[in-house]
Amino acid sequence: MTTLAAGPATRRRRASSTVWRVLTYLALILIMAPAAWLLIGVLARAWSHWQWSVLWTTLTPTGGGLRDQILGTLILMVGVFIIAGTVGVMAGIHLAEMARPNKRSGRLSGPLRTASDILSGFPSIVLGYVGYTALVVGLHWGFSLAAALIILSIMVIPYIAKTTENSLRQVPTGYREGAEALGMSMGYSLRKVVLKSALPGIVTGLLLALAIACGETAPLIYTANFAPTLPHSLTHASFPYLTYVVFQYYNAPQANYHALSYDAALILVVIVLLLLVSSRIIVARTQRHAESARGAGGGRRRRRGGGAEDEPLLGITGAPPR
Amino acid sequence: MTTADGVAGSIPVTPRAESVGKPKLPRRIRDFARRNEEHAWRGTAWVAVVLPLAALVFAVSVLAVKAWPAIRVNGWYFLYGRNWTYGSGYGTVVHTGGVAHPMGSQFGAWAIIWGTLASSIIAIVIALPLSIGAAFALTERMPTWISRPLGFTIEILAGIPSVVIGLWGILTFGPWLANHVYPVIADHMPDVPVLRYFRNPVGGGEGLLSAGIVLALMIVPIIASTTRDLFMQVPPLPKEGASALGMTDWEVANKVTLPWVRSGIIGATVLGLGRALGETIAIAMIGGASLQIPHTVYLPFTTVAATILSQLDGALTDGTGFAVATLAELALVLAVISVAVNLIARLIVNRTGRVGAPVGGA
Amino acid sequence: MKISMRAARLTRGTVVAAVAGVVLGSALFGTAASAASAKVPKSGVETPSGGTVTETGSTLMYPLFNLWSGGYNGKYSSTTIQTAGTGSGTGISEAENGTIEIGASDAYLSPSVTQANPDLKNIPLAISAQVAAYNVPGVTAHLKLSGKLLSQIYQGQVTKWNASQIASANPGVTLPNIPIVTLHRSDSSGDTFLWTSYLSKADASGWGAKIGFNTTVPWPAAPGALGENGNSGMVSGCKATPGCIAYVGISYLTQLLQGGMGYAALGNAKGQYVAPTTQTIASEAAGFVKKTPANGTISLIYGNINNGYPIVNYEYGIVSTHQSSSTTAKNIRSVLEWASNPKDGGSSQYLSQVNFQPLPPKVQAQSLKQILSIT
Repeated sequence: MTTLAAGPATRRRRASSTVWRVLTYLALILIMAPAAWLLIGVLARAWSHWQWSVLWTTLTPTGGGLRDQILGTLILMVGVFIIAGTVGVMAGIHLAEMARPNKRSGRLSGPLRTASDILSGFPSIVLGYVGYTALVVGLHWGFSLAAALIILSIMVIPYIAKTTENSLRQVPTGYREGAEALGMSMGYSLRKVVLKSALPGIVTGLLLALAIACGETAPLIYTANFAPTLPHSLTHASFPYLTYVVFQYYNAPQANYHALSYDAALILVVIVLLLLVSSRIIVARTQRHAESARGAGGGRRRRRGGGAEDEPLLGITGAPPR
Repeated sequence: MTTADGVAGSIPVTPRAESVGKPKLPRRIRDFARRNEEHAWRGTAWVAVVLPLAALVFAVSVLAVKAWPAIRVNGWYFLYGRNWTYGSGYGTVVHTGGVAHPMGSQFGAWAIIWGTLASSIIAIVIALPLSIGAAFALTERMPTWISRPLGFTIEILAGIPSVVIGLWGILTFGPWLANHVYPVIADHMPDVPVLRYFRNPVGGGEGLLSAGIVLALMIVPIIASTTRDLFMQVPPLPKEGASALGMTDWEVANKVTLPWVRSGIIGATVLGLGRALGETIAIAMIGGASLQIPHTVYLPFTTVAATILSQLDGALTDGTGFAVATLAELALVLAVISVAVNLIARLIVNRTGRVGAPVGGA
Repeated sequence: MKISMRAARLTRGTVVAAVAGVVLGSALFGTAASAASAKVPKSGVETPSGGTVTETGSTLMYPLFNLWSGGYNGKYSSTTIQTAGTGSGTGISEAENGTIEIGASDAYLSPSVTQANPDLKNIPLAISAQVAAYNVPGVTAHLKLSGKLLSQIYQGQVTKWNASQIASANPGVTLPNIPIVTLHRSDSSGDTFLWTSYLSKADASGWGAKIGFNTTVPWPAAPGALGENGNSGMVSGCKATPGCIAYVGISYLTQLLQGGMGYAALGNAKGQYVAPTTQTIASEAAGFVKKTPANGTISLIYGNINNGYPIVNYEYGIVSTHQSSSTTAKNIRSVLEWASNPKDGGSSQYLSQVNFQPLPPKVQAQSLKQILSIT
């Protein structure tokens, strides 16, 4: 029990520290309040006129539902998953596994990584314009799913490459050395050992890339335009998707379209939520395995390099502007 | 592991795990695959990693080629001029320096570029203190059962599409600001140099400040998440040591934690800035679309990205193609700004490395 | 860089329809697929080959195209019209590019566009008008506003609703002391074209000399001037902004009135203040019928016509006469014939819902001729 009373300087310091803590909590509230307001607002607006038939009715000139738009967004996500997933993961593999420091590929990997980062921060409207000029008009594809997929994939590839590279770097070198010692070929060890360990991180990156892709509007307006129904071909046919509905229909002349706009916003938020929750679940599952398998050494390395539990957060920081 | 013939007492033979029970490709194909698998991996990976660079170079070249006629005619005026007019589209076509364009067309994009810079700066000014404060709140003395869900909410905010945020901005947030917040601020502002811009008129909610606040909301997750990660990576020993020496929470934060993570925060901020510069849809919805520099901070304005979005469609009504070329030039300017901001971010982050300054360092 | 026409979509249905169309066409009408003009059956509308016809453009025309889409598909279930309201500028651009089949536009093509695309035509489909809408609390009457006064308002020279210029033209109306907020279109808009044409003609030395008319213009710095997207944006923006004045297409009149807004009686070339009614719009249009050229390119604005409403225009379908396949051409022709036919799309059943007028017979015949040249 102290008998010394706090002097005036100490009291001042403690007071300023309390003010500081209050300010930090205030900052947190100032962020959380609009976020909550936003989410509740989206939910409330959509829910007040919600009909489940929105999910399976087609869009008509005066109303209808959003069936083909939802399918369109899902198709775009699947397409991006395949195209950007393949290219992005391969690029990440190169940056993490194959760049040999004293050879040409190693010296180039720095600029290549820089180019990838620059591309991830590139304004999406500019990429949309390039897609319009080069693919829609230049190659005469017209507004099409093909053009939209290519542009969306380009937007998202650097992001997947970065998360893949990060996950691969976290695989302990001991695994690779052990595999080589056992005589496994490079491809075999990649497939059976390294990629398998890094898979959760890679999948998380892919899911977050999908979340980005499904929320894009500007590049899609100039590559896919918009349509009420799913087309039958990859080119020369405008493609439906949800974000356009949110953008244009909230003050459309058709009164029914306003409700569709709010519904589309809700569906988009639900899709993003599902993707984020899935990535969290995957991370939590693998962390449990990893903690039991690796022990203290791996844990510390995980912390410093930006641990698996931090992956989603780190990933978001590189999200391209919309 | 099975025995070769299953008979008890025989010497167990353990065949290669992967070849048990599965149909085998002919030996020649298997050998070919085994020898060339590495080449296949290397080759594909090489192509994949070059793709972003190729795409970047391709994008910039397309822009440059399309913008070239406009660059030649518009000259430097494009960057400092404030007059943005397509000219008499239904009038005569003139030729300047060999490039055809409508008579009277003049493109000075300063007001538009100003809009991009101003809205991004406002967004950073609002987002940075909020993010750092919130990151501190989440990492210092907050039980996990609160900080985890709150952290997750911030992640969700990062993933929400810009259109949805724009929709909320224009239907709910903007009007609320215009009716309840701006009048309160504007009525009490004195007529002094900087604060002058916060006086009346207050407008209807679509304007620079509304767009700046909404942008801040969009980049807060980027900065807050990274900052939070960085705070968690600060080794506890220096912090605990400082606390043991009698430093208050604020002093520990100010003298130990912040210097440690300073370059990381700068890097994250510049990345957030990059996002704000390229933001299109939310600004198109809530910015008000005026091609002038607003007199007060509440009035409508426009940004480069929003202008490209709204005017690209109709640009071909200028049959000479000059309007399209000018918009390509505008896109090129935005691309250059974005690339520059990105490179600066990498320079700052790389220069100071990943380890923070030692305790007690400035 | 010349943009060529887009290739045909090779869906199985289109291929079958194309073959059937060629066979049927040559059997029934005796013309080759590449003939310069097709023959029209007695009903006035050719039967389409089936598929989708894409339309985009003018938001003024968007409500009507939606109605037409339903009506046309009801009659010819094989063919659907896919509509969108994106602004006349987009309609013209996309028709130029070939990424869309019919572009809807309130503005006729500029000389530079016709020079660059000799195959592109603007075909009048209906007659529409534009109103000056305002949200002035307490004022329900049609305010009398002249073109010159509106030019001053949009230039920021008249800034309050109770300004002397407005009050003197509207004696007996109580005007509140609130600032005028001018709304303009941020996208490339045919409504902007109409509005600025009116201002240019009514205030030739002021607006006409300084700013002129186009689908996009450099709007002067009026205090608080707002840009909105589409006619819907103008309506919702004006509704949310007391003191606003906006130019809105007449197809949005119901929404305007429901939102509690009023619209002005505009000053015409004879100095009369005329409100937009069926009668006044028809008078204005009638005054220009003789002068309308075969290609439909004419402005019907500010005609020196007694009791004529000054902002009236032809609604154009922007189409290329050189389509990539005869099936596409047939579908487009069918849609346009149906739309301009006074018994089908041009009947009051559709037009009255959007306050449009049908084309005068002479103009309709000219349009039909242009439509038949689409191959």
